[in-house]
Amino acid sequence: MLSPWLIGFLVFTLYPIVNSLYWSFTVKRYGAPARWVGLANYELLFTNDDLALALRNTAYLALIGLPIRIGIAMLAAALLVRPRRGNGIYRLLFYVPAVVPAVASGALFFFLLKEGGPVSSLFGLFGAEAPLWFGDPAWAKPALIMVGTWALGDTMLIFLAGLVDIPRSLYEAAELDGAGRWAKFRHVTLPMISPVTFFVLLTGMIGVLQAFDQAFVFSQGIRPGRLTGEPQGSLLTYAMLQLRQFQDGRIGFASAMAWIMFLITLAITLVMIFTRRRWVHTTNEGLA
Amino acid sequence: MTLRRVAGFIGQHAILVALAVMFSLPFFFMLLQSVMPLDQAKTTALWPRTFEWGNYAEVFDRVPLLTYVRNTLIVCTLVVVGTIVSCVPVAYAFSHLRWRGRGVVFVLILSTMMLPFQVLFVSQYQIFSWLGWLNTLLPLTVPAFFANAFSIFLLRQFFLTLPTETLDAARVDGAGEWKVLWRVVVPLAKPGIMAVAIFQFLFAWSDFFGPNIYLSDEENLTLAVGLVRLNTAAARLGESNLTMAAAVMFVIPLIAIFFFAQKIFIEGVTLTGSKG
Repeated sequence: MLSPWLIGFLVFTLYPIVNSLYWSFTVKRYGAPARWVGLANYELLFTNDDLALALRNTAYLALIGLPIRIGIAMLAAALLVRPRRGNGIYRLLFYVPAVVPAVASGALFFFLLKEGGPVSSLFGLFGAEAPLWFGDPAWAKPALIMVGTWALGDTMLIFLAGLVDIPRSLYEAAELDGAGRWAKFRHVTLPMISPVTFFVLLTGMIGVLQAFDQAFVFSQGIRPGRLTGEPQGSLLTYAMLQLRQFQDGRIGFASAMAWIMFLITLAITLVMIFTRRRWVHTTNEGLA
Repeated sequence: MTLRRVAGFIGQHAILVALAVMFSLPFFFMLLQSVMPLDQAKTTALWPRTFEWGNYAEVFDRVPLLTYVRNTLIVCTLVVVGTIVSCVPVAYAFSHLRWRGRGVVFVLILSTMMLPFQVLFVSQYQIFSWLGWLNTLLPLTVPAFFANAFSIFLLRQFFLTLPTETLDAARVDGAGEWKVLWRVVVPLAKPGIMAVAIFQFLFAWSDFFGPNIYLSDEENLTLAVGLVRLNTAAARLGESNLTMAAAVMFVIPLIAIFFFAQKIFIEGVTLTGSKG
């Protein structure tokens, strides 16, 4: 019964893993044999000027963008979990942006945020000066987070799936104890949903670390060509920097970057799993 | 108490309406842009001067959209079938069969979810190039028949909610494990299997990275790649209206699926291993 997975694992996962680990210790270009250089790629990585910038940008997106996204998705899901007239429509409205492809949402937000566009007119309505968003390194990341938050449908759906699993009896018991709306959310929903929150947070962290498409679309819209994360590197994410190495044919260096990415993921995962007991309500069959 | 109830009701709906406006306005602007005349689409105008429905027809003239749709449907169908056929038995082995090393192998499977695709794709590309599969749909569909960690995980979680007694009863009646799986588990686990199928369909429909590196000839492209190519050409001329028209056509099938399938999806996904 395991054979499909086993064959796939050996061919499409294990072999590439071994290959890429080996390449990370070599200088390798497309179509040329690899030359062993030991840890040189990794040493080079720590002296790369763009690395610190890319890591900072990625951390910003993970620490600010992700909690906003998860918070709003949880709020929306909590409000929409009970079957009620109109909830199907709300769910649809919140979910739709998640399926809009990155090029389209990119073009769309470029339009919404451009000078004289709808958002800046809205700022003007309150007599405030609108930021230049993609023209300004300080505002490019918030704009990127805005698009990411807009497309939170997947996260909301996972929360919804988790929320319907909470037994109604727990809420009824809480009501008998005189719990109000907030108390029920705080003492029933939040602990019962915590395994889902754990899952969403973990996969979200991994996603942010690997994602480049939205930032790519925006920075290419500002200055097409090299992957430098315009404006002024403010949208250069770790994954984009890594992709640039692949495009430049520096497979060895790119592989080293991919392995650092994996080690960071591993570290985050381990920290989350070891602190899990403190903030995740235990269930019979846990995740991971 | 009733006053508090009313206040709560109003509060909830106020939040919902505010969120709904924020989430649907950009999409609404997208619809409006898709029917704007070209000269107007280049400005910051919000409302189309005239409704240029011809933009949608124009997209069909620019790119072989129906060919893209056909390719995308082939990929989606094969990915869904492949995933279900390969992942269901694996998930069964991890939920209702006892064997040595089960826990260790399951952790191994889960840990492959952490592997960045950046670690894998160059070697995978080489494998497919060696097989002579570049510029065909095979690299996008064949791997689906070898199971993926995320679907195994979701299916296993759902299978765990099924009562062991029912399975044991079938076993006592002399059914082998394959028979138990197809006759008992699969019919009971329909919502879970449907949810995974929908998930894979949505993913395959929207996937850009894979098709972009493996496909090159126009007649092989999927919608997601075709849309980007159209946009690259259209953006140079400022024709964002065409990009938007194409994007609207891209998302409509997905919206329809979500509309009909949201209930299945919400019932079919379980992360905690207990269905209330």
